[in-house]
Amino acid sequence: MSLGQDASGEWVLLSYRLPREPSTPRTAVWRKLKRLGVAQISDGLVALPAGPRSREQLEWVGEEVIDAGGTAAIWLARPATRGQGERLAAAMAAARAAEYQSVVAAAHQAAASTDPADRVIALRRLRSELRGIRRRDYFPPADLDHAEAAVQALASADAAEEAAAPAATELAAAELAAAKETA
Amino acid sequence: MRWATRAGIHIDRAACAWLICRHLDSAAQFVFVADPGEIPADATAFDIGGAELSHHAGDCSFEVILRRHDLTDPVLWRMAAIVHEADLDDERYDAPEAPGLDVVLRGLSLIRSDEEVLRLTAPVFDGVYEFFRRAILLGGEPA
Repeated sequence: MSLGQDASGEWVLLSYRLPREPSTPRTAVWRKLKRLGVAQISDGLVALPAGPRSREQLEWVGEEVIDAGGTAAIWLARPATRGQGERLAAAMAAARAAEYQSVVAAAHQAAASTDPADRVIALRRLRSELRGIRRRDYFPPADLDHAEAAVQALASADAAEEAAAPAATELAAAELAAAKETA
Repeated sequence: MRWATRAGIHIDRAACAWLICRHLDSAAQFVFVADPGEIPADATAFDIGGAELSHHAGDCSFEVILRRHDLTDPVLWRMAAIVHEADLDDERYDAPEAPGLDVVLRGLSLIRSDEEVLRLTAPVFDGVYEFFRRAILLGGEPA
């Protein structure tokens, strides 16, 4: 965990309450929190390692809760014991690890596809998915490396195939010549 | 007029300040506060908790200012898509420029004061505006 944050350092907490009905704002808030990769401490209490960005992100979600007729507050907190912070960090790392593993599985599945167009679409989707997971990854697990390697392998396989296919190379050469002409 | 915002300038606040200078108040003066309670009484607050010109209904502050001030220029709305995605990254818009601009702003905020960031980013946003103005006129990317 040397790359990640210090679990025993400061955390930013969002405590919030939203009316049960209507359910649309509840769902929207939940989706946003999920996207931010929060640790759920208890019902209506979530946490991120404190930083200007994480704090601001949680503050905006808090504002949204208030806009929707609920109550919300932002707190800066330090775990009273080291273990408490480490448990939160471990839960977050495990959640990210599961997401990275699903990227690995999807990359392997795409690599097995015989249609190059399918592979290109999958590569684009997986790269963007990976970027999203990294953004909410505060305590990078080893699975991050596996996911990056799997996606890179998918990209390299297609690059190698393109280089091997004469038609594609000729097309690329023609494009290059055309580009030089217009430059 | 005085305008107040949260200290620690990133994409949304920098873009809002540029928008305010170019379209609302050419003599705008900016105050940066750490806490909403420090907003001066005579200042208009933006992109800070509790302010009217701040995130609302899934919009970032830049979009809220455009709406509240009836700014319908399509070039500004194209920029709003970039600011929104750089700030919120919720895939509401397709704005491939967003991650790049976000890195530029976050990097600048590490090495310069808020005042300096506004000074340095004003010509950047002017350039981005001009790029998309021409792109929209030409119906394609300008050379």
